[in-house]
Amino acid sequence: MAQGFKSTPRGYTARFTPEEVQVLTQLFEDVALTLEPDEEAATDPLADLVGISENAQIPTDPALARMLPVASNDPEMADEFRRFTELSLRRGKIANLNMAAMDARSGDLALDAEHAHAWATALNDVRLTLATRLELKTEKDAARISQMTEWKDVETTDQYMALLYNFITWLQDSLMEAMLSQLDD
Amino acid sequence: MSNQYQPVLSTAGAETLPDLDHLLDADTFTAPDVPWHVLVWNDPVNLMSYVSYVFRSYFGYDRAKAEKLMMTVHTEGKATVFTGSKEEAERHTSALHTWGLWATFERAES
Repeated sequence: MAQGFKSTPRGYTARFTPEEVQVLTQLFEDVALTLEPDEEAATDPLADLVGISENAQIPTDPALARMLPVASNDPEMADEFRRFTELSLRRGKIANLNMAAMDARSGDLALDAEHAHAWATALNDVRLTLATRLELKTEKDAARISQMTEWKDVETTDQYMALLYNFITWLQDSLMEAMLSQLDD
Repeated sequence: MSNQYQPVLSTAGAETLPDLDHLLDADTFTAPDVPWHVLVWNDPVNLMSYVSYVFRSYFGYDRAKAEKLMMTVHTEGKATVFTGSKEEAERHTSALHTWGLWATFERAES
């Protein structure tokens, strides 16, 4: 059974069983893979170098659309914003997810501020992805999903995803409380 | 004789161009003093602890202000978390997307 995050003199510590390590690394890597930019989209090497997408469109995958959201209700402005920011947004998220996946492997964590930040955003992107797959759209959906906490009750893929979602939620909340405790009031 | 004509042309040019600029300004550009807003929208996924942490650590808001904004997002569906220039608003929107918050920017209603 996992030990959630705590703020200690060694940093933000947490401990996971080998099964939990496997689940965490898998989730981080899966979401990182989802965020990989389209190979075909980046054809101009200079545009690619400075992080401009030539043809950035609202992603059709709802999980991606949530992680790379529309930034303005003016479609022209939203398009331009996406062209200039989406590639670096994808790369930033992938870097954080990969860092968290590497950290997770040890099973016994003591994170500094930089790694804790990566974990906070990586866990959030995992939750956003699982939530879209679970079609979690309202507070009512959230309440229903939050009841799935027992391994022995799992019979379907959705129930398994709900269980993972609740595990990641609990883990992220423990990290955020620990990080909040380190801020000055 | 030919020299007499030129001043007329250049005068006309000097009078016409500023008018054209003015017209362009009004139609397609924003006056620099019109502020822009960054909005954060509610969703049932982002944790209250997470949203508070982002407002405190990224914007440097104190606990009271961060929690008030977070509760406004939660209860009213959205909150204005920043007001300033368009450039800053775009930068903050991008940073909030990196954090995974659902942020948009818009011109403030005058």
